[in-house]
Amino acid sequence: MNTSDLRLPTSNLPLSGIRILDLTMVWAGPSATRLLADMGAEVIKVESARSWDMLRSLHFLSGSPPGWYDKAAYFNHNNRNKYGITLDLQSARGRELALQLVAKSDIVFENYRADVIGKLGLDYPDLRAVREDIILVSMPSHGKSGPEKGNVAYGTNVEQLAGLASLSGYPGMGPHKSPIAYGDPNAGAIAAAAALAALIRRSETGEGQHIEVAQWEAMIGNIGEFVLAWQMYVAATPDADIDAWSEEQRIGNRHRSRAQGVYACATEDEWVTVSVGSDAEFGAMCAVIGQPELVRDGRFADVVSRRHNHDEFDAIVAAWTATRSQYDAARELQAAGVSAAPVLKIQKLMQDDNLRARGFWETVAHPAAGEWDMEGPVWRMSRTPGHVRMPAPMFGQHTAWVLGELLGLSPDEIAALEAEGVTAREPNAGVHS
Amino acid sequence: MTTPLSTLRILDLTSGVSGPWCTKLLADYGADVIKVERPGLGDESRAHGPFPHGIPDREKSALYLWLNTSKRSITLDITTPTGRDLALRLAAHCDAVVLDQRASELERLRLMQDDFAAVNPRIVTTSVTAFGQSGPYAEWSETNLTSYATGGQHYLTGDADREPLQNGGYQALYQAGTWAFGATLAAVWDARKTGVGQQAEVAGQEVMAAILEIYLPDFAYRKAETLLSRRGNMSTAVVGIYPVIDGHIGIHAMPKNWPQLLDALDMHWMAEDERFVDNRARLRNDDDLMAQMYIWTAGVTKAEAYERGGRFRAPISPVNTMADLLASKHLAERESFRQIDHPAAGTMRYPGPPARMPASPPEVRLTPTLGQHNAEVYGDLLGHSPRDLSLLSAAGVI
Repeated sequence: MNTSDLRLPTSNLPLSGIRILDLTMVWAGPSATRLLADMGAEVIKVESARSWDMLRSLHFLSGSPPGWYDKAAYFNHNNRNKYGITLDLQSARGRELALQLVAKSDIVFENYRADVIGKLGLDYPDLRAVREDIILVSMPSHGKSGPEKGNVAYGTNVEQLAGLASLSGYPGMGPHKSPIAYGDPNAGAIAAAAALAALIRRSETGEGQHIEVAQWEAMIGNIGEFVLAWQMYVAATPDADIDAWSEEQRIGNRHRSRAQGVYACATEDEWVTVSVGSDAEFGAMCAVIGQPELVRDGRFADVVSRRHNHDEFDAIVAAWTATRSQYDAARELQAAGVSAAPVLKIQKLMQDDNLRARGFWETVAHPAAGEWDMEGPVWRMSRTPGHVRMPAPMFGQHTAWVLGELLGLSPDEIAALEAEGVTAREPNAGVHS
Repeated sequence: MTTPLSTLRILDLTSGVSGPWCTKLLADYGADVIKVERPGLGDESRAHGPFPHGIPDREKSALYLWLNTSKRSITLDITTPTGRDLALRLAAHCDAVVLDQRASELERLRLMQDDFAAVNPRIVTTSVTAFGQSGPYAEWSETNLTSYATGGQHYLTGDADREPLQNGGYQALYQAGTWAFGATLAAVWDARKTGVGQQAEVAGQEVMAAILEIYLPDFAYRKAETLLSRRGNMSTAVVGIYPVIDGHIGIHAMPKNWPQLLDALDMHWMAEDERFVDNRARLRNDDDLMAQMYIWTAGVTKAEAYERGGRFRAPISPVNTMADLLASKHLAERESFRQIDHPAAGTMRYPGPPARMPASPPEVRLTPTLGQHNAEVYGDLLGHSPRDLSLLSAAGVI
């Protein structure tokens, strides 16, 4: 690699000068290190021929063309702004070189199952022996202690364990899953913030530490009010029934106090949300839909009536939205101060006026995958804005550069590592098939 | 041992869910968060409940109690000139101020980044809203639904033959708050390094659009629409939610988990069946595989399925209820909940901090009553006497 790969300088970014050794794969860990990479941290992602990021396999290109492992958008979005190297951590030499990189790093991220990092000989005491103030972030699903610490879970399991799935669903129906592996980005955003808290702490005390983000625990907070509400209910109800109570919480698109829903628009499978709380909002909505007399209609005149006659409220709103596009409906209502929004398909989301006007999309040029638009950094800094500075690394793209520049290995030594299988140019395809 | 953020002070001008969740995280991680509430009314979540016995009480709202742990509460009407002046004087003592108002409102209140920077050049102003401080929707009215809908996840959630479904609670608002927590820390880190603050802005729509898993990246790149429909509770036969004897379980098996899944199901014959011989074949015969899964799940309880998943290292989990969480041996052994005795709401168990930092443990501390810390905050930080406070109170400013 040469410096031309760095398309934009990092020197003015918040995390310039912070080096992160990234042993994570799939989504949770990489989403955490992406947040920090976007802010200017130098993130070095480690893979190997036998342990490579499964997202590389989700390319959906027919016939697995040459270099397929560099062309999966899911991987390329989540690993932009990072360097990529190969090191077989299960080999003695690979581990030794990883520890040399640890000695030159501020933070290490790993999201293996709880017991794996210890088996690799890369647990916190091992890292601390080579870098006393190292910050290690571990992200096991169930945590590193407790009777279930050896269990395996992915992102949808996490929302089931944490209780969110029991609270999600159409009214009268059973629990429902999120379409995404929600536990992953949730834990990632928490882990990135915790790493920053540890950096701030380190700058004051000189001490590092071992952060543990149990993905299950990290999601319970997102439904914390239900944890308290259930305890309040139990305290007040002698024969409290959790299944009946949980079903009552599954209110789908409705709200505890507002009148709201998702309504079909003129085009098939196009939807808009409408939500009114106060009488003023309801009055504004009635004016927009051309039925101002409804504010004096006993069925809807006040907050309580609107909740009691919610189905009729829905029918009236739906009759109006059925004649409009989702954008027209949302714009007309919002212009009058009524909370409404188009339920955007991804095709429309990428054309959405707000995201376009705000410069959300950035074009990335990837040496193997070509050019396309991806979402820019979501942490929007006014003085030090982050950008997609460089595309995600091709498999092992920066191995030679990192081992040469950072660890001072000679070209012969680097070539020998490849011959020994410590580094690699291609992933072993059989691992994820 | 102190908390990781014990040297940070935050002025919290937010209400509801997103902003308070951001500042709750800052507070649990040790920052001194001064929460500004409207005199007499307080944060809007105080009115929302749920409440014990269903009886509204501003000190007993589950939503407020949960979202405002570890903070100090003061009352202040920032829409009055005196109130604005007090807010700016407090900001002079802070690393960051967190705001959830729309751009026009901040302009009207004259509480923009420049106004704060004039009293404190190092200050970070964190903005957390649904649509951001600029752009055509900047003045739109927001709820959890607006970010969930415009961020793309809503359309993908639910059954193909029904309307899109919002998931439980306020997930889009919580996500915006979590991301604002990180953005605040990144900007404070930078301000401490450079001596200059800035605005850190988080828009809920953008947060949600950035966590669309494979769906957005794959469409952005390939422009293929094959993945972009609602698929209910079953992404595939081995990634989904199934009913069991006493509730539901979830399974999320990746190709490499197949052998362990067969161990857990005790259905090793499937390894020899040509319909299921590899991942491609299983996807082709997804309906057949789902039929087998239903046969197994119909005969187990949540606990049995989870036990087998754990024993054979297969990704199987119970769909836990709130009662399951509070009864979990695993979470009990890890001390995942904190018992907190609140003077009005009584003793309950609150979820602990989302990330553990053993060298500087974060902690979930008592939620304040409305204006509980007026005397100490206005006294210690601004030197106001009790007599001053009674004047401010009489004028409705605090």
